[in-house]
Amino acid sequence: MHNCNCENPLVPQIVEIVKIIDETPDVKTFHVRNENGVPFDVKPGQLAMVSLLPVGEGMFSVSWQEEKEHLQFAIRRVGLMTDELHSVGVGHKIGVRGPYGNGFPVEACQGKDMLFIAGGIGLAPLRSFIKYCLKHRSDYGKIQVLYGARSYADICFKDELFELWPKEKDTEVFTTLDRPEEGWNGHVGLIPSYLEELNPAPEGKVAVICGPPIMIKFALKSLEKMGYNDEQVITTLEMRMKCGIGKCGRCNIGSEYICLDGPVFNLAQLRKLPPEW
Amino acid sequence: MDITGKIREIAARLLQNGEVDLFMAWEKGDLPFQSKPFFARRVEDVERIIFDEYSIHNLSNALLKFRDRQEKIGLVVKGCDSRGVVRLLEDGQIERDRLYIVGVCCPGMKDPLQAMRDYSGFNRNPEAAPLAAKCENCIQPNPVIYDELLGEEQPPRVQGERFARVRELEQLSPDERYRFFEDILSRCIRCYACRQACVACNCRTCIFDETKPQWVGRETSISDNMMYHLVRASHMAGRCIECGECERVCPVNIPLMLINQKLIKDVDNFFGPYEAGMQYVEGAKPPLSVYQENDPDDFI
Amino acid sequence: MKVLNKNKLPAVFDKLAQQSELFVPLQKKEQSGFYSWKSFDQASDQLALDLLNVYLPPKQVLLPQTEKMYSFRQEEGGVAISEVYEESQARVIFGIRACDLQAINCLDQAFLTRGFVDEFYKARRDNTTIVASACYKPGANCFCSSMGVNPLEPAGADAIIRDTGTEYFIWEARTPAGEELSRQLAEFLEEKELPLPQSQAFERQVDMEGVAEKLSQVFSSPLWEELSDACQTCGICTYLCPSCYCFDIQVKNQGEAGYRFRCWDSCMYGEYTMMAGGHNPRASATERFRNRFLHKLEFFSERYGMPLCTGCGRCIIACPAGIDISKIITAAKEANWSA
Repeated sequence: MHNCNCENPLVPQIVEIVKIIDETPDVKTFHVRNENGVPFDVKPGQLAMVSLLPVGEGMFSVSWQEEKEHLQFAIRRVGLMTDELHSVGVGHKIGVRGPYGNGFPVEACQGKDMLFIAGGIGLAPLRSFIKYCLKHRSDYGKIQVLYGARSYADICFKDELFELWPKEKDTEVFTTLDRPEEGWNGHVGLIPSYLEELNPAPEGKVAVICGPPIMIKFALKSLEKMGYNDEQVITTLEMRMKCGIGKCGRCNIGSEYICLDGPVFNLAQLRKLPPEW
Repeated sequence: MDITGKIREIAARLLQNGEVDLFMAWEKGDLPFQSKPFFARRVEDVERIIFDEYSIHNLSNALLKFRDRQEKIGLVVKGCDSRGVVRLLEDGQIERDRLYIVGVCCPGMKDPLQAMRDYSGFNRNPEAAPLAAKCENCIQPNPVIYDELLGEEQPPRVQGERFARVRELEQLSPDERYRFFEDILSRCIRCYACRQACVACNCRTCIFDETKPQWVGRETSISDNMMYHLVRASHMAGRCIECGECERVCPVNIPLMLINQKLIKDVDNFFGPYEAGMQYVEGAKPPLSVYQENDPDDFI
Repeated sequence: MKVLNKNKLPAVFDKLAQQSELFVPLQKKEQSGFYSWKSFDQASDQLALDLLNVYLPPKQVLLPQTEKMYSFRQEEGGVAISEVYEESQARVIFGIRACDLQAINCLDQAFLTRGFVDEFYKARRDNTTIVASACYKPGANCFCSSMGVNPLEPAGADAIIRDTGTEYFIWEARTPAGEELSRQLAEFLEEKELPLPQSQAFERQVDMEGVAEKLSQVFSSPLWEELSDACQTCGICTYLCPSCYCFDIQVKNQGEAGYRFRCWDSCMYGEYTMMAGGHNPRASATERFRNRFLHKLEFFSERYGMPLCTGCGRCIIACPAGIDISKIITAAKEANWSA
């Protein structure tokens, strides 16, 4: 069951922004905490509603919980609330409520080789799972991360992608840009085609995908072609959310609410739902 | 042949030879007073088409659903509906060459919504009148744009002074007027049906859906309700084609046309003579969409 | 049996209104709905207990059109929450029909179960006593009996009144809360034996058997386009529906302070699922139309075990385009979905 610490799940707790990292021109990572540390515990893949009280709320995946210290959110500037959020500084107080959603099946994936496929800001939700696997390294097999972005400037978490993760035991990172760019000597091409090029074998593997809907749809097709079965493929979806607790109605795909029953689904579950995302 | 027969003939011909992909008219529901919009797509569908005294629904509004698509569309319009087509053409929402317009001179309609409410058991006193409220004030029963015209030309139906009710309100003191509008607008439940039913409301992102900034709050407080109706009416000034659908569909019976008529009278007075949507001239724009140096400004 | 003289109703309401906020069906000029008895204006309003039903549904009492949630204050370097508005004062809804009460049972499922409890709804619901009015004369658009509702035995009522057609209602308490009302109204209740009225047949009936199952198979059918042709996505259906509950959450700022509130929203509106980046999974009217009917007749059943339509008929009365949910139910089983 869901453990929301606030008595009224629609009312946020006040936290402070203690650090802001500029990831890309339009993505920032915010570290938030209250005087005791994390406002609530979060499992990898769970979500929280970030509230700029006079402006609005937005649902974001928690891209990492640092012990009991703080929560990290990677947030792209794309609408009214995120616009304002990007203009506040360290020390500013905002609201958060959560945790929401089902999170990734971290236990069920133990012993498996992990293939993470992410596009753009889609790396933010997967990051919590990747870091979890790295933290409990011996519980998981080989780790491969395939990441694509529009341009070099749009790559999030550059430090982890290029410096930290490739140095981890039995961990590989593959990065691709949509288009050629001066100074970029890495792979150029869209994620689904790079995926088929790399052709990671499906045996004993779990593939976890996140990104824009169109990228997810094509990547799923590629994985099918490569022999992955429905139970081996997991994705995390996004819909417009307001309440975050499965009541306001708008985030449904069929009879499932993305904020409550999702956002993580395996392909077998997804196929049973109407193709409306 | 009666009008229904003629319309069916035209629809069948247009669908048969591929001149249209879709033909919009009305069909009967189960009850005698139920006439509702119907889109014929195949020649077999044509036999469902009717035209009777309950064919009140303004089909020009339905054209907005197809504005980004390619279909050629045939549709039946009465006087007010045809002004709605002119509205869409002037606003650049649809191309003339996609449309085949069958005009019908309108003898005045009855309102199926009123009749249904009387039939429902929810009404204590019957509402339905010989003519729908919106038809009582009709100044243009004959279509102003068409490819074919059916029926006999009809005289305007408005009796006595067209803006009598508006003038009555104008005579009230500002306080009395405020109380009047507070009374009728406090019951608004912000269902936005008036906006959806309105052919002149064709913005891709409606001002009331904007977030940066949010212009009018969504509370059903009297201030937000008033702002909603005043802003919407202002956007209609010089553009409202008086089809009266907004008032007809309102689930809480707000006399919306009163506000629109005030603006129609004012626009005609200040920027006129002008009636919206009376004729389609390519490139023509409503008076408030164009700035002229000699625009009246003594009321500012 | 206990009976209540209709002429005593104003006094009964005055008594009930002393200890709770009392909501009764009223005709207020051109509008009818469930309003607070305190707002009754002798000059212009009429009690509407004798009518089949009222246009604005009683969900307003538990899920108001506009409901303040919490207020906040801007402070040095941030913000603080000042007050959370959980309205838990006692309420009574008097004269609700079985269809509308079943709709409230549906709202209870949505708001009180599954993962989280909506505390705002709970505060109102826990402190609301419901007196239902048994319905003997279904209207032309009523089909509650087809949707699992018994108009003579409104499920979930604390007390039931039955209009005998004379000057008396029969009064039956059903729960401890209902018994408590009987005690409060003891001075108005009399002992009398009166015959129950004859209940009349339903003109409109549909067969819900297998509908949810069938609809789950026709999601991609081209028939949805034709069914939705006339729909203008005006949203009237969702607002008059006693069981539609989708809401929006917005903020109102007043200088340095402000409050967050929620208000009714409609899945029929274009921007309902519009995401900040511009992606909209249900951009067309057809997709939203389909989602609404699937939610009503399939998704809600799959999730909570009951359809989200209770056969009150309001949408059939008020839809300007003539869309009829009972026809969609019949079409589920009888239409050619692969056409």
